[in-house]
Amino acid sequence: MNFFNVIRWLAWKDLLSEMRSRENISSMFFFALIVILIFSFSFSTDQQTARELMPGIMWVAFVFTGIIGLGKSFTAELQNDCLENLQMNPIPRGAIYLGKLASNLLFMLIVELILFPLFVIFFNLDVFEKIPLFVLILIAGTLGVSSVGTLFSAMTVQIRAREVMLPILLLPLIVPVMIGAVEATGGLLRGDPISLYRPWIELLIVFDVIFTIVSFWVFEFILDH
Amino acid sequence: MMIRWIRRFEGWFGAAGAVFIAIGLYYGLAASPPDSYQGEVVRIMYVHVPFASTSMTCYGVLTVASLWYLWKRDPLVDNLAHASAGIGVFFTAGALYTGSIWGKPTWNTWWTWDARLVSFTILLLILIGYLMLRTFIEDREREARYAAILAIVGAVDLPIVHFSVEWWRTLHQPLSVSQRGIAIAGVMLYPLIFMSIGFYLLLTYMIGVRTQMLYLKQLLEAKRGRLLGEVHS
Repeated sequence: MNFFNVIRWLAWKDLLSEMRSRENISSMFFFALIVILIFSFSFSTDQQTARELMPGIMWVAFVFTGIIGLGKSFTAELQNDCLENLQMNPIPRGAIYLGKLASNLLFMLIVELILFPLFVIFFNLDVFEKIPLFVLILIAGTLGVSSVGTLFSAMTVQIRAREVMLPILLLPLIVPVMIGAVEATGGLLRGDPISLYRPWIELLIVFDVIFTIVSFWVFEFILDH
Repeated sequence: MMIRWIRRFEGWFGAAGAVFIAIGLYYGLAASPPDSYQGEVVRIMYVHVPFASTSMTCYGVLTVASLWYLWKRDPLVDNLAHASAGIGVFFTAGALYTGSIWGKPTWNTWWTWDARLVSFTILLLILIGYLMLRTFIEDREREARYAAILAIVGAVDLPIVHFSVEWWRTLHQPLSVSQRGIAIAGVMLYPLIFMSIGFYLLLTYMIGVRTQMLYLKQLLEAKRGRLLGEVHS
């Protein structure tokens, strides 16, 4: 099979099993909802302060749900020795990485797009003309989380205490994504001129490019006998 | 072989490090004058700066050793990487600790979200995560491989963390107090030089001892495994 077919089939396989079980997306969605509610209760403030805190709350919720999804991404492959089979197949390792990255990115984006209207309602945002730029920030930030996350998900799946190790390894590394995404979202929703928060979007894109390439390269050493 | 070289010379590094640090402490605590601006407090610089530079060197050694391991798969290089990560935790924690003590009288706060502080904290977190990851993997070869991957990804990440935090602070609010860029007089430079050299020697000594320990531990395990195998068969 050629490179792009592997990516497509892997992503399609994940998507298909998700469409049948709906385990991943539903658990991610309810977890995110609970995180948002907990945050709203713990900062019981007025509308104005809530709006300032909103980008941070939103991205914390997104990243936490992302970790739930990423953790499940490779554990699903442990059933019936699917991971072993993937490793034994003569297919490029990088293609496995990109296929998994595609499905993880897609799941996270779906959950985020379902959650976003809830944010609009809870925090009274007026966003309608800002949606294209917001989607760009969303994709850039989510790709940053899932590029490193897919790599670490493959790494932690074969070790003990994997549920603990994934966030411990992932969260410190994605500090730049958090800063960039929160600042860019905050700037956009406050209605700042774009020149003020464009550097943050650029930072996100640079992070995405660097870490997709680095992860793509080192992934070869993860599935290696 | 590298392990013989380590065994032969590490003692000299330790002894020389002790001498340099002793001279550095004498100059730093007794022979140098207090700073005209910061007073006696400035003396903590003589341990803080060496702590900070050695901890970065530790991560450098870790990165190079990790790349080397993925390339050549030499178990001793993996021991070197493992050792420098463990020692790195000590030096990074030391840098943060002394920096915090220094920060209280000069910046009037124990902690601020400065780029250096944040990137050193992330450095510490990555190193601790690295050591934790290693304890959770049974297979020795896989442990070495995964740890090396984490170290390399961390090495790519740290400069980005540093720049993004720096940017974040400058766009938000400039640091109210900044002591950076003060020129250092000669009398104060001597203890700093002695302490830095002493710390680097100490670092070499500590990494040497730890590498040797990890190597011997693995050798012991391998031999024990072989003996047990003979008994059982």
